[in-house]
Amino acid sequence: MGAWEFYLVVILVYLGTDLLAAWGLNLEFGVSGVANLAFIVTIAAGAYAYVVFTLDTPAAGGSFQQYVGGFHQPFPIAVVAGALAGSIVGVLIGITGLKRLRQDYQAVAMLVVSLMAATVVSADTPFLNGNAGLVLLPQFTPFSDQDPETRRWLFVGIVAATCVIGYFVLRRFTTGPIGRTLRAMRDDELAASAIGKDIVAMRLAVQGVGGAFGGVSGALLVAFIAGWSPGAWAYIETLALLTAVIVGGMGNDRGVTIGTFLIAILVLQGVQFLPQSFNSLRLGLREDMGWILLGTLTIVFIWVRPQGILPERRPKYGGGP
Amino acid sequence: MQLLIEAIGFGIAAGAVIALGAVGFSVQFGMSNILNITYGSLMTLGAYVGLFLIDRGISPWAALAIAGVVVAVFSVGFHRWLLAPLVRRGTRAFAIVIVTVSAGVVLQYVIVIFAGPEAKSYGEQSAQTFHLGYLLMTASQVTIVLITTVLMLALHLLLTRTTIGRAMRATASNRILAQSCGINTDRISDIAWFLSGTLCGAAGVALAITTVSFDFSLGAVFLIPMIAAAVLGGIGQPYGAMLGALVVGTASELAAAYSNPAYREVVAFAILIIMLLVRPRGLFGTAWATRRLMT
Repeated sequence: MGAWEFYLVVILVYLGTDLLAAWGLNLEFGVSGVANLAFIVTIAAGAYAYVVFTLDTPAAGGSFQQYVGGFHQPFPIAVVAGALAGSIVGVLIGITGLKRLRQDYQAVAMLVVSLMAATVVSADTPFLNGNAGLVLLPQFTPFSDQDPETRRWLFVGIVAATCVIGYFVLRRFTTGPIGRTLRAMRDDELAASAIGKDIVAMRLAVQGVGGAFGGVSGALLVAFIAGWSPGAWAYIETLALLTAVIVGGMGNDRGVTIGTFLIAILVLQGVQFLPQSFNSLRLGLREDMGWILLGTLTIVFIWVRPQGILPERRPKYGGGP
Repeated sequence: MQLLIEAIGFGIAAGAVIALGAVGFSVQFGMSNILNITYGSLMTLGAYVGLFLIDRGISPWAALAIAGVVVAVFSVGFHRWLLAPLVRRGTRAFAIVIVTVSAGVVLQYVIVIFAGPEAKSYGEQSAQTFHLGYLLMTASQVTIVLITTVLMLALHLLLTRTTIGRAMRATASNRILAQSCGINTDRISDIAWFLSGTLCGAAGVALAITTVSFDFSLGAVFLIPMIAAAVLGGIGQPYGAMLGALVVGTASELAAAYSNPAYREVVAFAILIIMLLVRPRGLFGTAWATRRLMT
């Protein structure tokens, strides 16, 4: 497989998983107004669940890594486990965020939750192998009779199919009666509860569904890169997703899709094409510039166009005098 | 028993550094109603400016003062030309916090680009130690506790005995009423951000002095204990932040002494989360402050 072909596969997989994650975050934040800056933890939960479900027991691997689980399940079951883990973690995060605090306070609380999760997982080695993370996943099981090249493209196909299905599921929540109720909760919680909407149930449900999206995203990503550690889910990763949501258009699924394309491809991959001289100056310089670009983009968009590239469509009710 | 006293000693030293940062953070919130997450990266900036100066032979304590001023200038500019205009335009609180988080990330990585990602150190500090019964503290720690005490006293005198201090308290309490009293609230805000920026830069240098080595994540790591201290004491209440800092510092050191040292940070996180969930206005925050938090 040529270098360019492999690169394309990598980009497509990252794009697909980023899309699922961005849609989940948009559902929680853009549509429902839940300031969940701990979203990355649901992605991590999905990834860890996938790993723990596909790996064999710790002893079988020569006790090289310590972790709970090790159920040695095939790919589809592990992905479902990832979705469930993301969902449960999402609801748990939601419970910590239930107190009716000002939104920026809540945002900071969620940021702290995400930092705390990373610290606890890093420190508690028997749980998920601590800071070293987990590696040596078995090859993902479907199509094991094909050659590696074809299998990679088939994986891209799986990711794409998951995205298509995911988008349809997403639309069920962001449009129609459910979507309108969620937006009502976002725009005016008091009014929404006054007409009888159960705010707590909706918030937790949204965090569960958004978390499931995150969990699937994490599971698919880890199936591809075959390794996962706390370094992969630092608190700033939520920022990259948040930039995609803000730049693309909060509350607008198509906008968020565009935003993710822009961020995942133009920004995160674009910096890879900076002159080689940049990287010879210092390793990792290009990623650092990527973060600077992301942060600046967020600030610029909040300053100039907070509604994003594709603003949310406000329904217009025709008729009347 | 010895372990307990030693841990309390470390806690006081840690609390002093946290207090420097927490009080500045609290003042910024009290004055402008903004949770300034960029504060962490500004502390990092202070630490690196201090490193720059120390490497050129300036004493750590002079570097602390100079770094404080540099960060103060950055802080005032940041508030005046980015945050204040956004607030005036009616940007939501959440968007402002996202702006401060993003600005923090940008500043942090700009620092990395200029100074490199590897760990830095201020070098050998005086190995002199002081004993008071079982209490054991290094000369640097004692100096920092003294400096913090002096600065807190100075802040207290400023707030209570000077006209500017009264104007600051008035602006923090009720901006519009202060304006109708003829107070130039914009200028008072600038002054408040300058002073809290000084504390921020000083905190960064103090952190770097007390840790063996540090890198660009210094501010981000220590921001959480500082926010925890500020929230514990009552966000917007400088005196509460001082007490909160002592509590957070001591609790963290006790946890580190009696169980896993890695859980030192977790204690600060836990205090912050519990406070936010149970009593967001903190120990000394007023009910009026809670309304601000619930909007």
